[in-house]
Amino acid sequence: MSISVKVLTRPIDEVSYVRATMKGMALTFKHMINPHKVTVQYPEHRDPLSARWRGTHRMLTNEDGTAKCVACGLCPAVCPANCIKLVPGEDEQGNRYPLVFEIDEFRCIFCGYCQEVCPEEAIHVGRHYENAEYSRDGFVYDLERLTAQTHPVCEMWDPADPKGE
Amino acid sequence: MTDRKMVTLTVEGRQVQVPEGTSMLEAAKVAGVLIPHYCYHPGLPVAGVCRMCLVEVEKAPKLAAACATAVADGQVVHVHSDVAREARQGVLEMLLINHPLDCPICDQSGECELQDYTFAEGRKDSRYQEAKRFNPVEDFGGDVLYVPNRCILCTRCVRFMEDVAHDPVLNVSERGDRAVIGKFEGQDLTHPWAGNVVELCPVGALLSKDFLNKARSWDLDRAASICPNCTQGCNSALESRDNVVVRMRPRPNDDVNKFFLCDEGRLNYRWLNRRDRVEFPHVRRADALAPIDWDVAVEAAATALRGRRVFVLASPSLSNEVLFLLSRVIARVGGAGAFRVRHGPEAPLDGVPGLSLRADRAANVQGAGLLGFRNSETPLDGVAAGDALLIVDEELAGVDASALSAAVARAGAVVVIGTTLPPWARDATVVLPIANMAEEEGTFTNVQGRVQRYLQAKAAPGLARPGYAAVGDLLAALGEAAVYFLPADVFRALAVAHPPFAGMTYETLGLRGSVVSTGAGSPAVAAAPT
Repeated sequence: MSISVKVLTRPIDEVSYVRATMKGMALTFKHMINPHKVTVQYPEHRDPLSARWRGTHRMLTNEDGTAKCVACGLCPAVCPANCIKLVPGEDEQGNRYPLVFEIDEFRCIFCGYCQEVCPEEAIHVGRHYENAEYSRDGFVYDLERLTAQTHPVCEMWDPADPKGE
Repeated sequence: MTDRKMVTLTVEGRQVQVPEGTSMLEAAKVAGVLIPHYCYHPGLPVAGVCRMCLVEVEKAPKLAAACATAVADGQVVHVHSDVAREARQGVLEMLLINHPLDCPICDQSGECELQDYTFAEGRKDSRYQEAKRFNPVEDFGGDVLYVPNRCILCTRCVRFMEDVAHDPVLNVSERGDRAVIGKFEGQDLTHPWAGNVVELCPVGALLSKDFLNKARSWDLDRAASICPNCTQGCNSALESRDNVVVRMRPRPNDDVNKFFLCDEGRLNYRWLNRRDRVEFPHVRRADALAPIDWDVAVEAAATALRGRRVFVLASPSLSNEVLFLLSRVIARVGGAGAFRVRHGPEAPLDGVPGLSLRADRAANVQGAGLLGFRNSETPLDGVAAGDALLIVDEELAGVDASALSAAVARAGAVVVIGTTLPPWARDATVVLPIANMAEEEGTFTNVQGRVQRYLQAKAAPGLARPGYAAVGDLLAALGEAAVYFLPADVFRALAVAHPPFAGMTYETLGLRGSVVSTGAGSPAVAAAPT
């Protein structure tokens, strides 16, 4: 038994390439006349980030340069990616402070919960995206690194319009 | 419980029957309803000062304090009615007037009753505009730190020291909003049971200096345990973080320790975290101990014991299971077993009869006695020439060096089963590493003869195995047919072999334990030291 081949007959205006080619070329010529630039000349030029951009973390400091963190333990508790390591300790004045505070930026999913939960407004996610490192170890940010960051921090929400209405 | 009249009342629509004279708060617990409270504690006399347990009682003119009101027949109690909730909300607002918002740096956060109840039924904000009262932190002596700003003046600590410890050191000083907990002039919280005020404090006003800023309560793993520091066998909870025990707290058991744990017990947990543990089985090769596989080491230990009389020197802090298996080793190859107990001053808690920090500072003196081990101050004297000396979890601290070396010289072979490798153990033929009590499951027999279970709280280091597994394997290598996979299997065999333990299993013991039976019906007493 021979194999039967079903041959479809389509209307000529559907299978003709002429119309499609004309359409494509029209778009090309339109861009020649009215260029719609999407390429940015990075790093000379950078697009501004949203105020709610959530990037790598930054720890804010007191006037004396120490971290604002009091090691309350809420950020490691709330962190869904389990990327914050915190060991609380006590300084000479008997104040609670973080002995170890490390964030693994590779594990971080940048949800911003840590900033939201922080009662001391110490840990923040930053408006920053240039994070290249020469080794993977460099992505575990310790307290020194976090306090040394200078980039602006995420605003999370507009104080005048907290619900985003 | 027989002739007490029972009354029936309704709490939150649930009918319960409780003995006459029970407080409404306890009756509500029977009904499964928790009435918020601060000053009430089942182990202390009722004060009725916090007003947090106000409930609505039908046909009563005003709200009643559930902790201080006895139940009556036919009462209908509403805990969560609008009136009661509003009253408690007012109480909470008043308590929070001077309470600082320092939960982030407070050690109690996460286990704070003020936090819990405020979250459950407090106002969302405070209407108080003035500055909060401030008092500096005070060191109360002992292990206790007092943070007056956080204090809600429930007076649990005052009542504990006065009515339970019978050492009235604390009082309420000043009046009105200036009131704080004070110490009597020149006195400190040095009572051996004073640390309990830290657990009793419903907020973060009384803190343990030892635990201060060490961990958050929600980071801790908790395991039901038994305090291993004396023969009282107080029920405790071992709380660990990242495989490190960070504190020990009392676990209520009406038959043993009520709600309390002495300071010596609660602070002596660091040895459970020792870093100088022996992690691998060792066998003597030429002049030194060489780490080796378990199979080889167990076989070497069996070879050392075979054909010799064995003298077992066991720690009285080993579990009943391990001691039973050791007694099987003795029965199999012949020999004797002994133990020595460290002593310390006895410290009773006057308000609770039968509760005391016992002079014998080991957990299982009673069990070791019942299982045929001899209590001796100089146990090494029992080592005869040519004996195999089997030393189990005993560091022999404080033993006269010459007596020790003489005993080792007399012995034909020295086998060490232990958690650490003290200097004298370097002469051993075989060393088998075992887990300490926080790393294994087992039972202790306390001074009243109560057999109580403890559970595993952390993982053992290296290749160390639970004591029952190590001794069980040794027994198997010596030709014993019985196989013990779990401590429950060992305990079952123990209950069959020893009449005082007859009928007991891990299931029947539960977490409250049961008392060994003796012919006279009274708790067994271990042989006096010889």
